Amino acid sequence: MSFLELNQVTKTFGKLAALEDIDLQVNKGEILGIVGPNGSGKTTLINIISGYFRPTKGEILFNGKKISGLRPDRIASRGIVRTFQSNVLFEGTTVIESMLISAYQQYKTNHWQSFFNTRAWKQENEEVVGRVIELIKLLDLLNDTFLPADGLSHGYQRLLGIAMAMITNPSVLLLDEPTTGMNHEEAMFVVDKIKMLREQGVTIILIEHNMKVLMGVVDRVVVLNFGTKIAEGKPEVVMNKQEVIEAYLGTELI
Amino acid sequence: MMTYIDYKDVVPKAVIGLVVLLILLVPIITTNESTLSILILSGIWAIAVMGFTLVLRTGQFSLGQAAFMAIGGYTSAILTAQMGWSFWPAFLLAGLVSGLAAFLVGMVVLRVGGIYFSIITLSLCEVIRIVAQQWESVTRGARGLITAQPNPIPLGFFEINFFSSTVPYFYLTVCLVAFTALVFWRIGESRLGRSFAGVALNPVLAEHQGMYLMKYRVIAFTVAGVFTGLAGSLYAHFLTVLTPTMLGLWQSIQILIMSIVGGIGSLVGGPIIGSILLYTFGSYLTRLDIYGIQQLLFGAVVVLVLLFLPKGTGLVDLWGRFWTKVIWREKEFEMDEAEE
Repeated sequence: MSFLELNQVTKTFGKLAALEDIDLQVNKGEILGIVGPNGSGKTTLINIISGYFRPTKGEILFNGKKISGLRPDRIASRGIVRTFQSNVLFEGTTVIESMLISAYQQYKTNHWQSFFNTRAWKQENEEVVGRVIELIKLLDLLNDTFLPADGLSHGYQRLLGIAMAMITNPSVLLLDEPTTGMNHEEAMFVVDKIKMLREQGVTIILIEHNMKVLMGVVDRVVVLNFGTKIAEGKPEVVMNKQEVIEAYLGTELI
Repeated sequence: MMTYIDYKDVVPKAVIGLVVLLILLVPIITTNESTLSILILSGIWAIAVMGFTLVLRTGQFSLGQAAFMAIGGYTSAILTAQMGWSFWPAFLLAGLVSGLAAFLVGMVVLRVGGIYFSIITLSLCEVIRIVAQQWESVTRGARGLITAQPNPIPLGFFEINFFSSTVPYFYLTVCLVAFTALVFWRIGESRLGRSFAGVALNPVLAEHQGMYLMKYRVIAFTVAGVFTGLAGSLYAHFLTVLTPTMLGLWQSIQILIMSIVGGIGSLVGGPIIGSILLYTFGSYLTRLDIYGIQQLLFGAVVVLVLLFLPKGTGLVDLWGRFWTKVIWREKEFEMDEAEE
């Protein structure tokens, strides 16, 4: 049985089928890439897994338990956390504050312990700050720790988004185009960081537009086109398939 | 965008101690009834304003906080005047009933949030007023309820008598304000209060990080409801009478104005400063006996505060600015010199 499983998931908006009968198995510890041209349903897929949309049909299993139909916060607290395609931040907070706000959800001490400022809460707080700093170092945000999050450059805001998702200790991380709006070098930098995250035991689903970025990092790739899965497998193999090339480049007219 | 203020950095303990001591000594310095009653009523408003600010922390803009004062006030007024209860149990029950009302309203209304929440709380305020006006068999309608005074508390050699002077009310209010301030301060410092910020600043992101929006919004609204209800009960008993128009729309807006003037970035200091200043100002204006002057000038004050102290820092931040720019800088300067 696979770790995260989508069975026959369909999502329609009115008469438009954004996703149609998607079957998908994600194994523990892998990096799964999802590619496809614009409008192929990549982000809808993430929105459905993270609970932002409910599937019209089909079900999603995580560790053998059904998670489709749950609220986003329930899915997030089970360990499936996403990032957003645009830079979504807690406005007006500094980098460390935004990380802490995210981290608060995973505390072992309860609200009363925190209210009465008990030793257990203080201790856990220190531990978490330690973890936050570690993660900030890992994602190269150390110089910006106390700077306002919305003042960071585009690339660093994307990294902060990943850091905020990571601090909640996810077992599955859904990254929605982490390299949008970056040049090749910046994108490769982010890819390096994603590889480092995998070493921490996180399963990653990576949505990407940029083929070159994807090739070097993913274990397996799934290609979507018009809401259906047209190919799946090792990236080198999939990218040479006729359907995939047609989906990206179109068919010859002659 | 809001700026949150951390008091540990800004207000030294000695200053807080001095202020508390001064407040406790007020009845010895002056026994002037009108001064004391202004302070008592500003204290009562301060509690309601703190409640408003707590709800605002979760990003929700309640325009009906006076409704919860009315619910609390009417609960204890009906229990004491119509059913013969004594003050203390009625006072506590007022807080509970108001909290329960806030919980139930919140469970329904906070699902939508935002501007809809503001409009529904605003209409709640009117609904409560109309019910109080029309339900004559219970609330005596526009004639109002005459509330009972707390029984004297014998303490051996002397007794605390709420009939003969306002001093016991003064201390009761100070205790309630202090208790509310303590609870709200701890909420603000704890994980709960900090999560409120996440829920307010970006609901979608907060939800996807595992925060159940409704939970935080309802907790804030309910806690605010409990304390606002207690304040309402105290208000009704201190003024000895409660009529439907005493806690209406204007009072809700007054709470909002006090919060803005004091500073919405702070849960405790801002509301207290805002309500003391504006209530004193307001009661001075009432003496001028010009119709509508209070509303007019309160509006002007809000405009001035928003012009000169934007970002919601309010008057409370003036001290913060003074502290960081003048005193703090001097300290830094001394440290530099010492290093050399």
